[in-house]
Formats: sequence, structure tokens, C-alpha cells
Amino acid sequence: MTTSTKKQAKGSSSSKTSKKPLRIVLVGVPASPGFAMGKVFPITNREISVVEETIPESRVTTEEQLFLKAVSKTAKEIGQIKEISETRTGVHDSLIFATHLMILQDPGLVNGVLEMVKKKHKTARWSVHVVLGNYIEKFEKINSPAMRDKAVDLRDLYNRLMTALDDSGPVLEDVALEQGVVLAAHEIMPSMLIAIKPGQVSALVMDTGGRTSHVAILARSLQIPAVSGLRNVAAQVNAGDTIIVDGTGGMVIVNPDEEDIRKFHERQEVFERQRRELFTMRRLEPMTRDGKYITLHANIELPSEASKVTDFGATGIGLYRSEFLFFQKDAPTESEQETAYEEILSTMSPCPVTIRTLDAGGDKLVAGLTAVNEANPFMGWRSIRVCLSREDIFCTQLRALLRANKSGNLRILLPMISGLNELRKAKAYIKRCADELKAEGVQVGNIKIGAMIEVPAAVMLVDLIAKEVDFFSIGTNDLIQFTLAVDRTNELITEMFQPHHPAILHMINRVVMAAHREGIPVAVCGEMSADPMSVLLLVGLGVDELSMTPWSVMATKKIIRSINYEDVRESALTVLQMDDSDNVNEYMHKKYAQTITDLGISSFVGQVDGK
Amino acid sequence: MIVKTLTVTNKLGVHARPAGMIVDITGPAKSDVSIIFDGSKANAKSILNVMMLAIPLGSEVKFEVDGEDEELVVQKLEQLFHDNFNEEAG
Repeated sequence: MTTSTKKQAKGSSSSKTSKKPLRIVLVGVPASPGFAMGKVFPITNREISVVEETIPESRVTTEEQLFLKAVSKTAKEIGQIKEISETRTGVHDSLIFATHLMILQDPGLVNGVLEMVKKKHKTARWSVHVVLGNYIEKFEKINSPAMRDKAVDLRDLYNRLMTALDDSGPVLEDVALEQGVVLAAHEIMPSMLIAIKPGQVSALVMDTGGRTSHVAILARSLQIPAVSGLRNVAAQVNAGDTIIVDGTGGMVIVNPDEEDIRKFHERQEVFERQRRELFTMRRLEPMTRDGKYITLHANIELPSEASKVTDFGATGIGLYRSEFLFFQKDAPTESEQETAYEEILSTMSPCPVTIRTLDAGGDKLVAGLTAVNEANPFMGWRSIRVCLSREDIFCTQLRALLRANKSGNLRILLPMISGLNELRKAKAYIKRCADELKAEGVQVGNIKIGAMIEVPAAVMLVDLIAKEVDFFSIGTNDLIQFTLAVDRTNELITEMFQPHHPAILHMINRVVMAAHREGIPVAVCGEMSADPMSVLLLVGLGVDELSMTPWSVMATKKIIRSINYEDVRESALTVLQMDDSDNVNEYMHKKYAQTITDLGISSFVGQVDGK
Repeated sequence: MIVKTLTVTNKLGVHARPAGMIVDITGPAKSDVSIIFDGSKANAKSILNVMMLAIPLGSEVKFEVDGEDEELVVQKLEQLFHDNFNEEAG
């Protein structure tokens, strides 16, 4: 990740107009493709400074009223977000919001603040700061990780209350007034994105995060251009500044000049034209010129996305990350999960839907469930390990999955499998849940069970695992991270995260050969399956299915329809003989860069050159 | 006043959701309700107070209910604890 800041003060020497705002170019990580220009709407993390201020007796009633009004305003705001979140995600009665509302009416909090105003003659702001601040401090000291997490909720409420007390602060309703604003923030929370109404926000720019952060994935599925990892964009923009966001190239321009705007319109036009052209791909088969069919599936984050997937030309769901349900609510019940899964399964029927069982831990913490403060979270208590030791949570999910599978198109994917012991245990749980349901008189449809291949140990044992599952799905992000011993979140070594490292290519080759010997298919569902050069290599290595964000499906289809399988097969076998990733990249680039450039999909797949 | 001791039998203890369910009963009640655990006594109508006690599985919790609807409140609380807050037993 390279971030460079170029400040160019445009002189206004000749003209008499007051000085022009500063043009700033910032480079970050392309998190979600597309182009947008709009007014900046900064989301400050609301570091509110409060001063202790004593008020005269005459103002006590006013301050009390101010506080009570802020409470009801905040309650209304939470109610709105709750409603929007429910329609977007299909999860009802979200615990987060119910708890927030109850805390807002907590007698200890409300009376504490009112008393401080009345008896100590302090302002409402100062009283909230002291009273709620005390609670936050106490929660942070509680000797229970789940409760300590609630301090985050309290801080969220603190910010909301403070904003409501200060009428000039940004609140949800203010955003709603203006259409197509560009949100700029140090960090954007997934919950904030869910609260956005369609059309309200045209792009996102943020200081933190990478391509695989949760917000980035969500932005891509909502088709909002986004640039992350800008480091200091939030501090450099003001409300109302014009900003150009290039989510494809990972660049933003604050206060653009005429030349910038002209170029922006040009590129946006190309993007739109390419998008329209790609839509003509929808009904065509993803088949190479010499007739090899590659299955293209979509990855989704929200159950409601399922209905859009086929519009993009995907013929199934290759990965639904069930964690999202758990982010919404500590422990969704069996029937809540069943509703969410059934929405996806019935919408997609008869197309296959792969649902990955809870993959919590690592960088995806679920409140009250995953351990905090692990020295090495990616190799810690996560994923299938959590599920196997938390039978209650795992079985609730499995029962919900089996119940939801009314049309028999479910594929259950078990993540982080590192050996046969785990796989057999997980399969035993699935069988037990199915037997229980049958005994209860529930009809249990056919399912397929697959193993996620993302731990090097699983690759070493892949011949044995292949005999006991119905399909493989290679999780490239973790497989690369573990094989190359490169932490993908560590900025010092991002250059070393090389998907085309010969070690990785050999592993994929080995997995494919083992699978095909047993007659089962291999899917790839990581970021790799949407990168053009990687697509060529994966197809050449014999991967049967690629799964990616919905909008990448059409571009990938276009690539597949332009190549010969025999040719990419030969290229794959050639690069398997190479000794480092630079050689692989150089070879592929020389052979295919022009072909890919000529396809006219640049807006969707990023730059082909400059690897 | 009724004093009632109840045992927490759900696996996860009194986390946010069960705390909310307790306050759903105590909040609208006419009686004053206190919750006593591990030597601390708190207003049971406050979800923040109840959560802050961080009561784990297997704990004994004492409620002091005082007011005209005290019997009903105790009965509801008893039922709630008995049902493990509609969660899995530990």
C-alpha cells in the first residue's frame, strides 16, 4: 500500500476571486470500484470536548428539557437505523438496538443526569459526560469480555447523545437531506453503511482499512465506490468540499480543478459504457472458446443480495459468509437463522448455494463469542475450532441450515479444516442434527458437504480429505497467508503477499488433482478469483468454479469467453516450472496483458499492468 | 417486601439479553426492585446496573421486591430464571 500526498496550491494570482480551496490528491487502496463526484460529508468520530460549566438556577429547566429532548431524538434515530437495518439484512429484533434503547431509558442514567443538572447546576452536556462516562469506565473494568464489549455500545450512545445535544452535529436525518454525498471518515463502521439509504451516499473515503475489510466487502456488494487506507483524508477535508473518488484506481482528488473534472467525466463515461456492455454478457455461457465450461458463482454478504445475483449472470452462490448474522446479533436463534438462510436458498433454487458455517475469530470478532487478546488471533481460537468447542452455537446453526434447505440446493462449507479429525467431528454434528430433525418429523433435503482448503496441512492431506467430502473450496487469502507466513494485515510486508508464488500455485494444482481423482469439484472463492491474471491461472490449473463479488462475474465471464482452455492450461503448466512469482507475473503479463486490455473491462478489474 | 433468591442456570449467564429481560419485568413494575449479587446491591430497574454485575452461570442472585405488585413481579422473575431466559441451560 503506497500512500502519497501531493499538495498543490493553485495560485489565484491573476484572478480577483478569493483564494481557491486547496487541491489535494490522495492515493489509497481501491476498496470498491466505480467513480463518483460529490460534496464531502465528514463523519467525525465526534471527539467532543466538554467543559465543566456551572449554570444559574434560571437555566436549570432549560437544560433539563434539552437533555430530555436529546434522549427522545436519539431514541428516534436508533429506531430509524433499526428499521433500515431490518429491511436491509432481514434480521429482526436486533439485540444491539433493543439494548441501546433500554440503556437510553435507564433510570440510573436519566435520573443521574437530571440530578446533576438540578442539584449541581451543571450543563446537560457536562452531566452526560460525567454520568455516562462513569458507566463507560466501570464497564471497561468488568472482568468479563462480553460485558467489556458493551462499553463500545455505551460510547456509541455517548456520541449520539452528545450530538443530539449539539444541534450542529451530523445526524442521520441531515445526511438524508442531501443526495449523493461522499462520506469521509477516519473509520467507517459496517453499521453506519447499513444505515445508509439507497442514493444517499455516492462514495466512501476512509483513513483505515484494506480491500478485504468488512466495510470494503459491504461497499462492493452495495455498489458504492470506496477508497480505503488513505491515512489522513478525514483530517484534510471539510464539509462541502467537492471530491472525486476513483474506487477502481484507489485515488481521491479533493477540490479538483477543471482538468480533473474533465478527466473524471471521461473515465466515468468509460466505466458506465463498460458496465452497460458487460450487462449484455448476462445470458451468455461462461465457456472458453474451446468449450470448457467454468461455473461462475457470487459471494454475498446479505441475504437480500441473493435476488440480484442472477441479474449479474451468476448461476449460484459460491460463498455466503454466515458471520454477518452474528455481527448483527450476539447469538441469532435457530428460527432467525432459518429465515435468513431460507431467503437465500429459496430465491436461488434450483441453483446451488454454498453457506459457510460460522467463521468467527481472526479479524472477525463476534461479541460475546470469540476470545479477545489472543497473541496470534489468525492462528487462534477461530472458525471451525470455535464451532467444535461451542456445540450449542454450531448445532443451532446446523439445524437452521437443514431446516431452511427445503429445495435441496444447500452446500455446507466447513472453514479452517486442518485435518480429518475436525472434518469427521463436524460431519458427525451435521448427521446428528439431521437425525434429530428427522425424529422431530422435519423433512431434511439433500445436502452437499465441502471442506475449505485454507490451511497448508489440509493441502498435505488433500488426497484423504477428498474421499470424505462432496466438494472443495480454496480460501486463497488464508492459504497464502499461512503458506507464505505473511500476515496480510501487516503493512510492512504487503509486498510479500503473492498470490502467484510458485508454492501457492503448486498447492492449488495438488488440490485440483486430488479432487478430480475423486470426482469432486474445486471452487476458489477468495479475492484471487476476480483478478484477471489469476483467473487465467486458476482456469489453467483446472479449477471448476470461481466465486466472486456479483459485479465481477460479468467481467470474468468476458475473460473466460475470450480464451482457449488448451492455451491457459499450457501456460499454467509452464509457470508451475518457474521458481518465483516475479517470473510468473512477467510471463503472464507478456502473454495476456494485451488481450485483457482489449476486452474493455478495465473499470471493473483494475489495472492489468503495474503488477 | 419479598426477598427471593434465584439461581442463574443459563450457560452464558446474565449478559445483555437476559439483563434486558429482567428490566422488561422490573422496569414497568410499581414495586421497588433491588438485585443483590456478590455483596453488591443495585436498582434492578436499571439495565446498566444489572449488566454491570456480570453474573455468571451458577450464581445465586437475591431480589428484594417491595410494593403493591411484589408477588406478581417475583412470580415473573422466577419464571424467567426457571426458563433459563429462553436460552440454553449450562
